[in-house]
Amino acid sequence: MTEIKLSWPKNYNEVPKEAFVREDIYAEEVKRIFHGTEWQPVAHESELPNPGDFKTYRLAGVPLLIGRDVEGVVRVFYNACSHRGNQLETAVMGNKTEFECPYHRWLFDSKGDLVGCPNPREFLPGFNKADYPLAQPRFDIFFGLIFVTLSAGTEPLLEYLGDSQNTLRELLAGDGRLKLLGYQKVRYDSNWKSYTDNDGYHAPLLHQAFKMLNWQGGKGRQFAVTKRGHICFESALSVATGPSVLKDKSLIEFKGQDPAVGSRIVSLFPTFVSTKHLDVINLRFATPIDAATVEVHYAYFAHQDDDEDMVHHRLRQSSNLLGPCGLISMEDASIFHRIHIGNHTPGSAIFQKGVHDPLKLESEFLQNDESGNLPRWEYYRSVMGFERATV
Amino acid sequence: MMQTDISLEAALNALLLADAHALDSKDMPGWLGNYADEEAAAYYCRSAENSEHGLALGFMYDDCRARLEDRVTFVNDIWAGTFQDYRTRHFVQLTSFDRVDATTLEMRSNFSVFMTPKDSGITQVLAAGQYLDTVRQDKNGELKLLSRRAELDTSVLPRYLVYPI
Repeated sequence: MTEIKLSWPKNYNEVPKEAFVREDIYAEEVKRIFHGTEWQPVAHESELPNPGDFKTYRLAGVPLLIGRDVEGVVRVFYNACSHRGNQLETAVMGNKTEFECPYHRWLFDSKGDLVGCPNPREFLPGFNKADYPLAQPRFDIFFGLIFVTLSAGTEPLLEYLGDSQNTLRELLAGDGRLKLLGYQKVRYDSNWKSYTDNDGYHAPLLHQAFKMLNWQGGKGRQFAVTKRGHICFESALSVATGPSVLKDKSLIEFKGQDPAVGSRIVSLFPTFVSTKHLDVINLRFATPIDAATVEVHYAYFAHQDDDEDMVHHRLRQSSNLLGPCGLISMEDASIFHRIHIGNHTPGSAIFQKGVHDPLKLESEFLQNDESGNLPRWEYYRSVMGFERATV
Repeated sequence: MMQTDISLEAALNALLLADAHALDSKDMPGWLGNYADEEAAAYYCRSAENSEHGLALGFMYDDCRARLEDRVTFVNDIWAGTFQDYRTRHFVQLTSFDRVDATTLEMRSNFSVFMTPKDSGITQVLAAGQYLDTVRQDKNGELKLLSRRAELDTSVLPRYLVYPI
């Protein structure tokens, strides 16, 4: 670890803007956070429904190969040959029972074992294929959601999730039996923290759509859990009543079975945001590209028990409502860019709504409070070793 | 080209250019006007990556005329004033067309779309891909899009989309 200096304000509701733009801080974040003691979601099992299915993913630059082996077991490997480290698989997704490295023709089965390599008699004396499986990071699975940590020191996953487990499980349809509908992938010109600071929730003032749809904010609960400040939202939905500007009202129709808590959001430190809103189930796998760019893969799901009509409804709603081009959320995407530009100015970003005492951290918030982000910021500050001012 | 009908090809090209012109002019009613006045009129925008893996989800999924009309409302009314605006330039090239029946044709074309955000002024490629169109020909010979699927080679967009591709 390298010690990085950043003057952090005394008040919990202030975040120095430098934290969003400094390259030296970003380099240290990669070490301390993304390669550190965090569990980071990289896929859901339903993205790999069949034996041999795989997906590749870069987690803060680290290439991963996430696959279901021929016996149906999900495994996560580093996507690099155990010989010279060549990137093993280049496809984003697919189905293979064997992976061959083109560099020296080393061949791995779906369990990661090295099953073939040409001319092994020319290798080191005593060379044994069994010593060269694909390397694996630590991974664990929660209702189908596959988490990876690049540190041996991270606590067990359930402990890491803490009291977010219930909201997350319900968001994953209660049983995790999802069916992949597809992806929307986008890069934002924004520091990863600006993205996560604003993707989970923000004041509905931004969303003209809510107003035009006569869509009143539902009553809800926002709470932060664990020392990391993972944020959970559980809100009743008040589906639009009265006149709508939309000719096709199915976009905002709610056909689900969960009207009491129609909207759930779980935002896990550092970058994961997941949401279930109306009939949209959306897992956002986000990873920093550099200090000024974050790439987000919005993955959308149906439930395995859905009938054809419900799948179709979810497809239409998912495509059009909450993503980087969605009716409600396109504006968010624009805000990410603008916040990042604005963060190149002196001073601090200041949180106001829901802050009762700037010298205290709380863990329960009203639905529209922006103070829900503050426990996460306090954790970030402590991981990064930034000292809070005392006066 | 399967067809040798030069006037038909010219008419298809005119339809392609009319759509590009409407989009680049941010003329959403004009964009809508390029679509057939039928309930089944549809516009989809999705990555080829999704399509190749049998995933129907799109960036935009307007599968009926009412939804196309709502797309105009999104851009002109709901989102007005909330985003960093950008200019686009669509370059389209007809690659093939076939007649399906007396009133229907299928057409493929390549596209590339440049984007220039108004604030930065720096031009970059927004997306490249192909249009897979079904075209309706009315009794007067006029051509309209019955459905268009903008299938993007660009699976990771460099920004959010406000306007259809």
